[in-house]
Amino acid sequence: MIFSVLGDWFSRSNKFERLWLLAKIEFKLRYYENKLGLFWALLKPLMDIVIYYTVFNVILNQQIPGFASYLFIGLILWNFFVESTTGTIQILNTKKYLYEYSNMNKLEIYIATLFSTTIGFFFNFLMFLLFYNFMEPASKGTDIYSLWIVPIFFNMFILSLGFSLILSNIYIIAKDINQVWQVLVQFLFFLSPIFYKLEIFTKALPSMTYANPVAGIIINARMVMIEGKTPHLKLLAFDLAYAFAFLILGLYLLNKLGSKAAEKL
Amino acid sequence: MEKVPAIEAKNISKTFHISEDSHNTVKHRLFNLFNPPRAKKVEAIKNMDFAVYKGECIGLLGRNGCGKSTLVRLLAGVYPTDTGQINIHGTTLLMNLGVGMSHQLTARENIYVSASVLGLKIKEIDNIFDKIVDFAELREFIDTKIKYFSSGMVARLGFSIAVNAGADIMFLDEIFAVGDMKFQEKAVKVFESSWIEGKTVILVSHSMDVIKKYCSRTAFMKNGSLVFFGETEEAIDMYVKDNHE
Repeated sequence: MIFSVLGDWFSRSNKFERLWLLAKIEFKLRYYENKLGLFWALLKPLMDIVIYYTVFNVILNQQIPGFASYLFIGLILWNFFVESTTGTIQILNTKKYLYEYSNMNKLEIYIATLFSTTIGFFFNFLMFLLFYNFMEPASKGTDIYSLWIVPIFFNMFILSLGFSLILSNIYIIAKDINQVWQVLVQFLFFLSPIFYKLEIFTKALPSMTYANPVAGIIINARMVMIEGKTPHLKLLAFDLAYAFAFLILGLYLLNKLGSKAAEKL
Repeated sequence: MEKVPAIEAKNISKTFHISEDSHNTVKHRLFNLFNPPRAKKVEAIKNMDFAVYKGECIGLLGRNGCGKSTLVRLLAGVYPTDTGQINIHGTTLLMNLGVGMSHQLTARENIYVSASVLGLKIKEIDNIFDKIVDFAELREFIDTKIKYFSSGMVARLGFSIAVNAGADIMFLDEIFAVGDMKFQEKAVKVFESSWIEGKTVILVSHSMDVIKKYCSRTAFMKNGSLVFFGETEEAIDMYVKDNHE
């Protein structure tokens, strides 16, 4: 199914233009509508960092070298996951105008929305690079290993797309998924090594490194961006398998439940 | 000349399951947690087969509630069928009072999004952009969000996008009721000059004159069944008789 959809996109080039157009408009709607605009997208992770830094480094004194950068990369990846999933639960309702009058492929709506979230991530990542290279006292600087962030982010993109498809299609038959996911996502946040010292996390929750796909992605992102090492390949392979499994389940649900979105929502 | 199919429908049917939500209060919901609301079955479309060929203008007749709108949604690929299958060859546009538009976007953005959904490339949209704006008579408001438009303005914009961008297969549900008289005259003119040639059109209308004038074949529906599909005159006779029963 994935290959037939991709093949269809390649053969009709207007779909790429459409994805980019929808992504740009979505990005504009998300950030330009408010007074702070894009500035808020840049400010939000910085404010989160200040909060967690104060709690975990100043008050709890965790003693993690370069804790601000450690938090920064973890938080922007986490925020991407949350925005891509929580922010798209009602996507088939809010974007109904795109498919209720034509036979447009609904998958394009998801990809365009995630592209727009990727633009936001890109700005945040740029800020991380500036911070890490010019302001972080414990910085080793970015090197060739940092390029591993591309497949790691791809991993996060596929995982988020899979979750987004699953949640938004369940929403068609059970609106409560919105509230349930809010609780689950909070649980997942505390089960991910975002602000804990990695040793404490792996010691307390040894299975979570593999059981929680977001944890693996964050651990690998830190390895390539901060520690200047190759990622843990077994973990990367594991997380990619996770992401594609969720994507396949999401596509199945889109086919099964999503096709009824126009009449049910 | 060989006929090329635009839509092929084989053994299609559609039933809606409508729940009667009697648990309106929190107390009712709590006491009936394991007693779900009753569901009613409505057979909207009963088994039917037919084909529409490229370039044809097909009429669709039937009294209110006979399943015309459901059939149109099935054929446009908006609703899935319960049984059988529909092969759609090309992009579709279901149009009643315009095309789907977001009220959060400006008229300009809606033009680009809608035309892109209909299969046009950005350059092609650039080329017809002025035509769409002028036809809708909305040049002054082009960068205004359409949530501030009157319903007539929204309808004109939607109609103008559909007229100028078009899809391979157009489903027109009572479209000649859009806008004021001047706009309706313009709409009919465009319909005659551009759509009737080359495009596949499925026209839903209660106006016998419109159906008679444009449709080569017409379908007559009654209670979710396709009673007749053929000569327009014959379909109109059946529809008129049904109205007098």
